[in-house]
Amino acid sequence: MAAAHGSTRPGPGSTRPAPGVARLDPGVARLDPVIDGQDVPSRDTARLTGVDGAPLAEVGLAPRLLAQAAVNRIRRSADGSVPDAGVFAAAGDLFATATLDGESPQEYRRRVALATGSAHGTIDRAVAGIRAALNQTELLNSSELPAPFAAGGYARHWVPRGRVLAAVVPNNHPEPNVTWVRALSLGYSVLVRPGSKDPFTPRRLTAALLRAGLAPHRIAFLPGGHETGEHLIDQADLGIVYGGPDAAARWAGRRDVLVRGPGRSKALVDAAAAARLPDRLADWIADDGGVRCNNISAVLTSGPVDELADALAERLAALPVHPVTSPEAVLPATGRDDAAALRDHLATLTAQVTDHSARLYPDGPLAEAGDGSTVLRPLVVATDDPFHPLVGTELPFPFVVVAPWRTEHGIAPLRDSLVVSLNGRHTDLAQQLLREPSVRKVTTGPVRPWASRPELPHDGSLAGFLLEPKALVVAT
Amino acid sequence: MTELLSPAPWAPAPVDADAHLRDILRRHFDPDTGSHFWLSRAHTLGFDPLRDIRTLADLRRFPDLSDELRTVPVEDLIPAGQADRPFEVFESGGTVGAPKRVVDSVSRTLNVDWVSTVLDSHGFPRNANWLHVGPGGPHVVGRTIRHLAQQRGGLCFTVDFDPRWVKRLLAAGRTEPAAEYRDHLLDQVEQIVRSQDIKVLFITPPVLEALCARPELYERLAVGLEALMWAGTSISPESLRQIEETFFPRARVAAIYGNTLMGIAPQRPRQEGDTHAAVFRPFHPQSVVEVVDSATGEAVPYGERGQVLVHLLSRDMFLPNVLERDTAVRVRPAAGDTVDGLADIAPLPSQGGTRIIEGVY
Repeated sequence: MAAAHGSTRPGPGSTRPAPGVARLDPGVARLDPVIDGQDVPSRDTARLTGVDGAPLAEVGLAPRLLAQAAVNRIRRSADGSVPDAGVFAAAGDLFATATLDGESPQEYRRRVALATGSAHGTIDRAVAGIRAALNQTELLNSSELPAPFAAGGYARHWVPRGRVLAAVVPNNHPEPNVTWVRALSLGYSVLVRPGSKDPFTPRRLTAALLRAGLAPHRIAFLPGGHETGEHLIDQADLGIVYGGPDAAARWAGRRDVLVRGPGRSKALVDAAAAARLPDRLADWIADDGGVRCNNISAVLTSGPVDELADALAERLAALPVHPVTSPEAVLPATGRDDAAALRDHLATLTAQVTDHSARLYPDGPLAEAGDGSTVLRPLVVATDDPFHPLVGTELPFPFVVVAPWRTEHGIAPLRDSLVVSLNGRHTDLAQQLLREPSVRKVTTGPVRPWASRPELPHDGSLAGFLLEPKALVVAT
Repeated sequence: MTELLSPAPWAPAPVDADAHLRDILRRHFDPDTGSHFWLSRAHTLGFDPLRDIRTLADLRRFPDLSDELRTVPVEDLIPAGQADRPFEVFESGGTVGAPKRVVDSVSRTLNVDWVSTVLDSHGFPRNANWLHVGPGGPHVVGRTIRHLAQQRGGLCFTVDFDPRWVKRLLAAGRTEPAAEYRDHLLDQVEQIVRSQDIKVLFITPPVLEALCARPELYERLAVGLEALMWAGTSISPESLRQIEETFFPRARVAAIYGNTLMGIAPQRPRQEGDTHAAVFRPFHPQSVVEVVDSATGEAVPYGERGQVLVHLLSRDMFLPNVLERDTAVRVRPAAGDTVDGLADIAPLPSQGGTRIIEGVY
C-alpha cells in the first residue's frame, strides 16, 4: 500500500506544537529529527543540559518507528548516484560560516563546547578540519582507492556495495562526522544517529548540505538512544559505529559494520627521548583536551618510569583551569553529576597504580571552573607492568599511564592502537608495527600522532569499506 | 432533556461500588459460598471482613496475599458458590519468579463484553476477522482476544507466542536469538495474511515495530487492516503517533492495559482536553484501580505518576491490595464518567546511579 509516510507531518513553518512539550526558555535550542529535508517535530524528547548545569537544548527523538519511516523514505530514492563534489565543498563553507536554522557559527561552538565539555578552541579546530575535509572529498576518496584502470573497452569501476548507510556518530569530537559526509560523496544515502551530547554537529552539517543542494532524500538526521542506532544498523545495508569498548564488542566481526572503537594510542620512548621530549609528549597527551582518539593515553619507556611520569605530571598540571567557553580553555569539563561519578571511578582506578599527579592536586584532579562545570585536570599514573589493564584505558580528558618496556616485550604491549608513536632508538619497530593488524598508524620521532596529509588513511580505508570494484566491458 | 444523556456511551452504567464490594465480600467469606483460600485465612486477618469492610477505602486493611498465588493449589481459589460452573486457570507473566495463578469462570467475560462496547466507540469493525499476535497458553489475553473476536462476529487467528522465552533471552542479553524469535512470529503472521482476510490486529509494540520493518509483510497487512489493538508494553508518544498517522493511517487504533489479576482496562475514546494520547479506564467496580505514592500508599493527585494498586472484586475471585510493578499517571474521570483513568503506563524504574563508560565516545 502507499503508506502515508510524511503526509501528516507539519510542513516548514508549521506552528503546531508537539504535544507534551513544555515551552522552552529563550536560548534553549529545539532540535528535531530531519527526514526528507523537513523537521519532524517529535513527541518524544530529551533535555540536553550543558556542563554548567544550564538547559541547552530540547532534542526531539526518533523512536524505532520514526526511524523506520525514515528508512522507508530514504530507501525509496536511494539510487547510488554520486552528488557533485561542489555540494560538499559548499556545505563545508556554510558549516563553518553561515547562520543555519537560526544558529550562528559562534552559537554552534558555544553549544557544542557546553554540551560535550570540549574546550572552545577544540571546537574551532574541529570546524576548520571539517571545512577542509569537505572541500577535498574527491582527494580523500581517491587516495583510498587504486589508480583508475581502463584499457580499450575494459574498465574497472568502484561502486557502492550498498545503497543505504547508517552512521552512529560520537560525542567526543565533531570531526568523525566527516565519515558519513564522505559516504554521501561516494553515492550512499545516509541515516545519521547523533551522539546524545552532540546532536548539534550532525544537525548543522545536515542543514549545510541541504542548503548546498544535496537532494533531501539522501539524508535523515535521527536523534535517539541505542535502540534507534541498532535499528538503523539492522535496516541499513552498511553501518558505521563509533563507540567505546561495549559498542566495539557488540559490532565486532560484522562484515557490514565498520566499528571505530577506542583509540588507545600509545608512545614508546627510550631514556634519551624521554628526557628530551616531555613537552612534546605532554602535547600529544593533552592537545584538544585529550578527547581525541589519537591523543596518547599510554607511554611505554625503556628508561626510568617514575622519572618520566613525574616530568609529564608536572608539565600537564600547568595547564590552566577555565570554563570551556573561555578562549583560554584547554581542558575539558563535565557536569556536576558526571563529575561526582567520575571522582569515585578515578579513586578506584588510581588505587591500582601510582598516582603521579596526586601531589600536584591536593584536592584531586577535578576542579571547579566557576561556571558550575568541573574541569578535568590531567592525570598521570604509572605501573610496573606493561600489560596492566589500565594500559590502553582511554578516558575523556588528558589521562596517561606510564609503563616500562623492555626489548623482550616486543610489540605485544603496543597492540590495539590507533596510533603508535616510536621515539629514540625504538623507531626500528616501525615496519614490524605496520604489519600488526591491530595497529592502524605508526609515527616515528617528534611528530604529533595526528600529523597527516589528505592522502593518508586515519584508520584503514573508508572507501574500501563502502565501495567494491566492478568490471564494465564494452565491445569495441 | 439531552443534558441527562450520558456523553460517554462507552462507560458502564454507574454502580454503587461499596454495595458491590459488600456483595463480593459476602460471597467470598460466607462458609457456604466462599473459597477455601479466604475462609482458611479469615481468622488471621484481625478484623471481620463482613462487618468491618464497608467501603472501598477499607480494602487497605487487607494484606496483599497475591504472592501466595504462586503456590496455592488452584482448587482452593474456587468459591463454593461458583463451583458448578466451568473454571479456567490463568497465570501472570512470570517476569519475576514463579507466575501467580488465578481462576475464572464468567467474571472476565463481563469485562470483555464491556470492552467490546468500548471498541464500538472506537469504531472497530464488527464481523471482521482478528489476528492475535500475542501470548496464549496460560496467559489470559489469548482467551480475551478470542472472545472479543467471537463476540463481535469474527474469527480469531493465532500464532504460537511464548513471551517468557523472549524475556529469558533478553534478560540474558541474548538479543540475536530474541530477534530470531520475533522473525519466527512474523513468519507465522505472514503465512496467515498471505491468504486470509485480516481486518483487526492485536499485537505488542515490539513485534509491531519489527513487523513495520518488513516492508512486504507490512504492506500486505496494512492495506486491508481496519483496526489495530496494542498492549503488553509501554509505548512512547511519538511511536504511537507513527502507528496512527504514518503506518496505519486508515485503521482505528486502540490499546488495552491489563494483566492477569486486574482484568482489562481499555483505552477510552479521546476527549477534548486530553493531555495523554491513551487513557485507560478500568472495569470498575469489578477491578478497582488506584494510583498511589509508593512511599505513603496514598493516592497521588491527578496528573501525577504513582504505582498501580489493584483490587479484584469479582464473583470468581477476590484479591485486594495488589501492588503492581507498573506505574501510571492518574487521570481525572472523563466527562460523563466517574472512574479515574490511567495513562502513560511504565514499569517501576529500577534504581541505579550514573555508570562511567570507558572511552572517549
